[in-house]
Amino acid sequence: MSNSHSDTIPLRPSNSQSDIDEIRSLIDDSVHSGPAVVLPARHPATTPPPSSSPFISSNIPPPPPVSSSSSLQKLQSVPAAPPPPPPVGNSSSIVANGFGPPPNTLTEPVLDTVKRDLWRIVSNLKLVVFPNPFREDPGKALRDWDLWGPFFFIVFLGVALSWSASVKKSQVFAVAFALLAAGAVILTLNVLLLGGHIIFFQSLSLLGYCLFPLDVGALICMLKDNVVAKVIIVCLALAWSSWAAYPFMSSAVNPNRKALALYPVLLMYLSVGFLIIAID
Amino acid sequence: MDESSYWNHPTSHLLGSVPAVVNEESEASYGRRGGGGRGYQTLGPPTEGFDQQSQNNWKGVFSISSYTQYFDVDTDVVVNRLISSFYPAGGDFFNKIGANPDLYGLIWITTTLVFMLAAFGNCATYLIQKRTDRTTSWSFDVGYVNAAACGIYGYSLVVPVAFYFLLRYLGSNASLVRFLCMWGYSLSIFIPTAFLLLIPVEILRWIIILIAGTASSCFVTLNLTSYIGGSNDLRMMMIAAFLLQMALAIFIKAWFFP
Repeated sequence: MSNSHSDTIPLRPSNSQSDIDEIRSLIDDSVHSGPAVVLPARHPATTPPPSSSPFISSNIPPPPPVSSSSSLQKLQSVPAAPPPPPPVGNSSSIVANGFGPPPNTLTEPVLDTVKRDLWRIVSNLKLVVFPNPFREDPGKALRDWDLWGPFFFIVFLGVALSWSASVKKSQVFAVAFALLAAGAVILTLNVLLLGGHIIFFQSLSLLGYCLFPLDVGALICMLKDNVVAKVIIVCLALAWSSWAAYPFMSSAVNPNRKALALYPVLLMYLSVGFLIIAID
Repeated sequence: MDESSYWNHPTSHLLGSVPAVVNEESEASYGRRGGGGRGYQTLGPPTEGFDQQSQNNWKGVFSISSYTQYFDVDTDVVVNRLISSFYPAGGDFFNKIGANPDLYGLIWITTTLVFMLAAFGNCATYLIQKRTDRTTSWSFDVGYVNAAACGIYGYSLVVPVAFYFLLRYLGSNASLVRFLCMWGYSLSIFIPTAFLLLIPVEILRWIIILIAGTASSCFVTLNLTSYIGGSNDLRMMMIAAFLLQMALAIFIKAWFFP
């Protein structure tokens, strides 16, 4: 498509065979200087939008370092070390700028993946639920969203409610899970329908992370059984959750419609809080 | 008004699209919407002119931007409509909606009502049991949530649709979105009613629910008269609407606050 000049100036017979040969030679180059897998035109330096595939995130660790050993040896002993510095040996070859060594998340040890996901959950939690200077800017606050954290929090809340229920345990879990999961989707759609500008999955992720205070409240209520104490704890947890969700939701819509976007959030957290108090 | 134009700059309809199947101006969905042609009046208000603008934004069933036209309200507009739904006298709700019916009221009023009925229904049984039994064998009945959701969502979806089709069949010029909007706002009076029904005195509960049911039914009936002429067939519709709303009120009392 881009070789328009080759139509008028045939420097060499431009058929598909020569293109394949060129690619093969590039692959051979990369074998000697980098990992053996060449991804189709994915530049590691670009920052894809947060809603793209979960394998590419904005702070993905740079590709493994270039060692002097052969590439086959490197494939078998993929580094289990923490994120290494960018490969220096690749800068001289054409491959690093064009195709680049891929992020090798498929062949790393499972513990690495789990540690990295857990670390991401913790850092997102710190950004969302605790005070930090990025709160007023939703674009920065949850740039590296993920859905594992919300999943854990929703399931934990359902299990905690189901545990403390004395009858109809499975129905309680179903109601809690459906309420939270469907509620997050509907709240996001509500903002979009009101003409607001948010990213769908980023908002789902944020609403899930804001459940963390309610999770803590549910845990404490499981242990203590006094109604008055439960009411106080749940009210505190509600206030904390709402405070966490407020800047994100309110900055996503037109200021005239702020209350219209925030009210359903309050309603959802209120109903979850009520479930926590009432289920004993 | 000018601030809204600042926010609704021309590319805003692209940003709201959910990444799913997007039917760009497909004829099938347009046909389903418009009844087969551009000249068919579906969304225009009955007394005012035909609003061409609202039909042009339909981009298919799966595109969010085709539904944003029904949520084009601000906070003060919604509050205004809510307050006007509390006063059953004066059948001018459809004039108040004008060319801008909203489904925001329908969705969130019904959802709030579902939550209130489930929560306060449980509280009411707890209070009554504490008064009579003095035992603590009460437990939270999650079935109330299911019953409330089925009842309220079912009523608020089925009844306006049924009235829309019936009135269309009988020749009147009805509009589905405006009916949904009106019935949605008519349910708003039951929200403070649910709170008041916590009082554990039986006779007082019946008085409260009858007052609320009457107010809500009058609201619905008086507003329907603007779509109905004087003929006897259509008068039956008004009576039916009144009775249905009263039936809903009695269902709320009997199921959730026995």
